Amino acid sequence: MYALEQIIITILVKFIPIEQLNAALSDPRAVAILIGALVSISTACLGVFLLLRKMSLTSDAISHTVLLGIVVAFFVMVGLLGTEADLSSPLLVIGAAAAGVLTVILTELVQRSGLVKQDAALGLVFPLLFAIAIIIISRYADDVHLDTDAVLVGEIGVAWANTNSHCFDNCDDVVITPDHPRAEMGRRCINCSSGGITPRDPKAVFEEVCANCGTYSAAEAWRERLIPEPPALVFWPRSLTLMGLVTLLNVGFIALFYKELKLTSFDSALATALGFRPVALNYMLMTLVSVTAVSAFDAVGSVLVVAFFIIPAATAYLLTDRLAIMLLISPVFGALSAMTGYELARGQLLGILPISDVLVFLDRTVGLDGYTQWNSSISASMVIMAFLFFLAAWVLSPRYGLVAAALRRRMQRQQFADQMILGHIYHHQGRPEAPEELAADRLHEHLGWTPTHTRLAIARLRTLNLVILEDEQVRLTPRGERVVSEFLHTQLHAGQPTG
Amino acid sequence: MVNHTNHDDFALDIHDLTVAYNSSPALWDVDLQVPEGVLMAVVGPNGAGKSTLIKAALDLIPRATGDIRFYGQPYARARHLVGYVPQRSSVDWDFPTSVLDVVMMGLYGKLGWFRRPGKRERELAMAALEQVSLSDLAHRQISQLSGGQQQRTFLARALVQDAQLYFMDEPFAAVDAVTERAIVTLLHELRARGKTVIVVHHDLQTVPEYFDWVALLNVQLIASGPTEVVYTEDNLMKTYGGRISTLASSRDRMEV
Repeated sequence: MYALEQIIITILVKFIPIEQLNAALSDPRAVAILIGALVSISTACLGVFLLLRKMSLTSDAISHTVLLGIVVAFFVMVGLLGTEADLSSPLLVIGAAAAGVLTVILTELVQRSGLVKQDAALGLVFPLLFAIAIIIISRYADDVHLDTDAVLVGEIGVAWANTNSHCFDNCDDVVITPDHPRAEMGRRCINCSSGGITPRDPKAVFEEVCANCGTYSAAEAWRERLIPEPPALVFWPRSLTLMGLVTLLNVGFIALFYKELKLTSFDSALATALGFRPVALNYMLMTLVSVTAVSAFDAVGSVLVVAFFIIPAATAYLLTDRLAIMLLISPVFGALSAMTGYELARGQLLGILPISDVLVFLDRTVGLDGYTQWNSSISASMVIMAFLFFLAAWVLSPRYGLVAAALRRRMQRQQFADQMILGHIYHHQGRPEAPEELAADRLHEHLGWTPTHTRLAIARLRTLNLVILEDEQVRLTPRGERVVSEFLHTQLHAGQPTG
Repeated sequence: MVNHTNHDDFALDIHDLTVAYNSSPALWDVDLQVPEGVLMAVVGPNGAGKSTLIKAALDLIPRATGDIRFYGQPYARARHLVGYVPQRSSVDWDFPTSVLDVVMMGLYGKLGWFRRPGKRERELAMAALEQVSLSDLAHRQISQLSGGQQQRTFLARALVQDAQLYFMDEPFAAVDAVTERAIVTLLHELRARGKTVIVVHHDLQTVPEYFDWVALLNVQLIASGPTEVVYTEDNLMKTYGGRISTLASSRDRMEV
């Protein structure tokens, strides 16, 4: 991990001055948004397949049970290896993957017994594993840094502060020896404390001592001004490396197995019959979900991560009919939610509504006891934004949105109304009862509609050149006759529509 | 045609097949030989194990005993010879994909892992859609298809597999008359090209008209052979009516 960071930074400093790089990496906003975007992208692309495989809640289960993996990994680290507990250790990833796969295996075992259904099996297994994890934490691992806040919402806001330092120039340790020009030499009396001898006493014996001798790291040497130039240090947030790797891993997995994932998600029986391995692919997917959940744990906690998996995928599902496009726009919505979510947490809704202004206004009008500072959970705000985007798609999606559906229904009703009038005229035109049935001002009585509704429909049909008015009588134009006979033929006489 | 076949071999040879779900048999000691080039209906009441027979043949479910060979080979080595049309309801038709994409899935087996379908695969898929008169709808989202169109999409997907033997699980279920005629025409075309087709079928009246071979199944195989020989009142009684007599030998597990 450290070596990888070293390589990335070596490349980066070729393009960006170190001061600027450090400024960017210690900017809480930039780091939080970047990590949020990486979390969103890595989860949102897997989320597409979770959603299509109807396994959304499996990601919820896994994001909880990875806690067991984390706890066991901590145990191995602290108890067996004697190292320090570290939330970005590769052991954690292994533990989480194992816990995730265990969840899926146990769920399938319970389900295969045939005694409970899949949802209940999931509901049985994951709280059990989660409970075991909680018991281990509270019983044995009080000193481990895992508080409830971290489990709930993560700590994306302080990710910038948890860094590895990398040095690029003037990195050597500085060793000060007594003959070093900067050595601060002094004399010390070695027999003064005993026998009432003072330093002024001629019997006093002195030795040369060096006040600042020793080994200094480059940073310490600079602080003591022992070297003329500061070391070129870059402070790299640890979560950035892990989330970047996981994002690459997930995107690479989907790029590599796109065809196989598509086939197994749509028709797993055919996939098996064609010689693919849907079960193996499923476990690979679940392993990645676990690894992603545990990597994102640090940033967004184990509960909210489900929203990062599912909401952008659900948004994309409403906006397209093509899997490839869904896989492109789902991460885009994820990243957008991360960006706008950070601003929301800082009090700006999409850059248009400053929430603190609203709070000030509310404070003045209804009184909020002076509570006018908006500063809320970053990860929760990201989820809220993701949901707002989903809501927008739900209402406005061109094909499946509520507005589109309402317009479509209205259009259909209107078309049907038109056909009813045309049919009515067609039926009575040229027959003895025509003057009575087809009088324009009385038509609504025969149709049982309101006069306004009828007048509007007639006006519409006249503009469409389907109907004309002659002597206050409605009549079909030749075009109108063609339309109505076609309608009657296809809708009423042909029986069921052809396949 | 490549000569995959030995003249002594059946297109499908099932020997002593037993499949059990939770220890109750779904298929009991089935021996079935299907010669090459026939159009065979598999008929039997609900729960008779018709779909199970297909799934066991395709290694989709484990079998308790038995041996199944395609042209003398086990399925794992005969995949490229076998095409499969599952029940329409077995997939989610809201899946975000197009008709053409679904048909191309039939070619994934030949492509193997990692290789992506390209221009050639698109052309093959379009040709198959042409055969089932669906080329106009190639780029439609599959959720916008009628039941009959869905069934024809699945047929086109099996056609691109260019198999020697086809399994079709209830292709006539809930389709309109036009699609039913289209499927029958297609089946006869397949037979004319020397293919073997095994169809799970429900409409007993059309069996003699559509199929030249038939297997009557009710957990055990009641009879199989040329339609005019085995599709008799007597055999149908044994399969459907005489439930107790046919099952007396396989324990009284099915009172349903």
